[in-house]
Amino acid sequence: MTESAAAGLHPQPAAGPEAVAPTKIQVNDLHFYYNGFHALKGISMAIPEKKVTAIIGPSGCGKSTLLRIFNRIYAIYPKLEARGEVILDGENVLAPGYSMNRLRSKVGMVFQKPVPFPMTIFENVAYGIRHHEKLSRADMEVRVEKALRDAALWDEVKDKLKQNALGLSGGQQQRLCIARAIALRPEVLLLDEPTSALDPIATGRIEQLVEELKSQFTIVIVTHNMQQAARCSDLTAFMYMGELIEFDGTEKIFTKPSKKQTEDYITGRFG
Amino acid sequence: MNTLYLRRRMTNWIALGLSVFATLIGLGFLAWILWETLRQGISALDLKLFTKITAYGADGGLANAMVGSLIINFIGIAIATPIGVLAGTWLAEYANRTKLGETIRFLNDILLSAPSIVMGLFVYTIVVLPSTALTNGNTTFSGFAGGVALALIALPVIVRTTDEMLRLVPSTLREAALSLGVPQWKLTLQILIRAARSGIITGVLLALARISGETAPLLFTAFGNNFMVFSPMSKMASLPQIIYQYANDPGDAMHALAWAGAFVVTMFVLLLSLASRLVLSRNKVSHD
Repeated sequence: MTESAAAGLHPQPAAGPEAVAPTKIQVNDLHFYYNGFHALKGISMAIPEKKVTAIIGPSGCGKSTLLRIFNRIYAIYPKLEARGEVILDGENVLAPGYSMNRLRSKVGMVFQKPVPFPMTIFENVAYGIRHHEKLSRADMEVRVEKALRDAALWDEVKDKLKQNALGLSGGQQQRLCIARAIALRPEVLLLDEPTSALDPIATGRIEQLVEELKSQFTIVIVTHNMQQAARCSDLTAFMYMGELIEFDGTEKIFTKPSKKQTEDYITGRFG
Repeated sequence: MNTLYLRRRMTNWIALGLSVFATLIGLGFLAWILWETLRQGISALDLKLFTKITAYGADGGLANAMVGSLIINFIGIAIATPIGVLAGTWLAEYANRTKLGETIRFLNDILLSAPSIVMGLFVYTIVVLPSTALTNGNTTFSGFAGGVALALIALPVIVRTTDEMLRLVPSTLREAALSLGVPQWKLTLQILIRAARSGIITGVLLALARISGETAPLLFTAFGNNFMVFSPMSKMASLPQIIYQYANDPGDAMHALAWAGAFVVTMFVLLLSLASRLVLSRNKVSHD
């Protein structure tokens, strides 16, 4: 992809706060291969700081793949390869020397299905913190409470912190996973279809939470639910067949997209 | 009522009937075995079975064989569990989908179906013969050698169940832990083993059930002993070996003792299987 084409895919919001937000993650000509299959074809985009960026597109378009490169979680499986650059705060996280420990303390992730660890609610949140920091008991309690409050779960679990997390409902488990991720105080929060396994009420709570969390974190959310992208994101990227078709302010994408493919997808003509 | 609906109901009844019939056959044989061992051994099932040793023959009991079995089984499980759990963990977490891992998994499956007499002969050459040479004949056959032979039988069972139970843990749990920056070894020890714990315990209990009934590997290793011994370095009796010996005896009283011993072993294995079921189901409840 040429320089000018790549530049054209950067968000160009008409006006408003997006225009001045500094870039948190800069993706440059990113390619990804699944066992030889070319899954991402030259993605370039600039994800702004403390905004919610949604990635939409039909199944198999590469949106989850892109998200999973940002914290290099893909690297735990063999035969997967990413080429290009993902610049986080001026450093390429794909560079071989970039510390995995550091990357994952800066970039948190919440997955499609809630996956609490087989331990107590308190331990679920404390577990990750303990790996990165040595905290006193009292400090740890404060930290866990803060994370659970930020994840809007505290009031529901404050009396049963010592109970097994597997006893919580699906929506509660997912908010626990969010608490677990934000407890590490990351700078970026990746959400991979975080509500696809939840009912509408739990989904509403998570979306509200995303809205509240964006003042603290740069959030990237992958969703197959276009209404969700429209409701809770500032910017939206539309992907199709491994390519980034259009990336712009959410309002613009959903009202007057500049590409025909985007318009067809938004209006439900395919996908 | 239309004919399609009627036909489906008929098919349902027939299929249900056949599966109940098949279940009854399986359960029937189990009940029959238990009943037969109980019926034949009832005359010998008394207190002296548990208090007297085999040295008294027809007037004795099986106390030394029971103690011997417990000691030998314990040695076997104590050797096989740590090696088996570690090997299974390595297979599932570090060597999964690699050529070496697949090869070892395949070899483990072969070991799983290896004839138990081969294990006995193998341990005879690697434990019994060297210990005889080293101690100038003071130590020959031993409970320890029997334990090693049983460990070789229990090992592949434990490797396999650990491997399978760990691979049943959803990969999303691994991703979630790794995305927090937790290193692989902590993930394995603190999360995956914990998630698969009940399955692994079940595997160990099943391995114990499997080795409790083994006779052949003990013939060339623990050998047998008519007296009560606790030292693993001496020749040791075990229930299956005594059953085998008494069953070959012409005396009716000896046969009754053998049947009683068989009943004790069968009940022990049955209870172990039930215990492993209980461990698994208790874990399932806590997952909901």
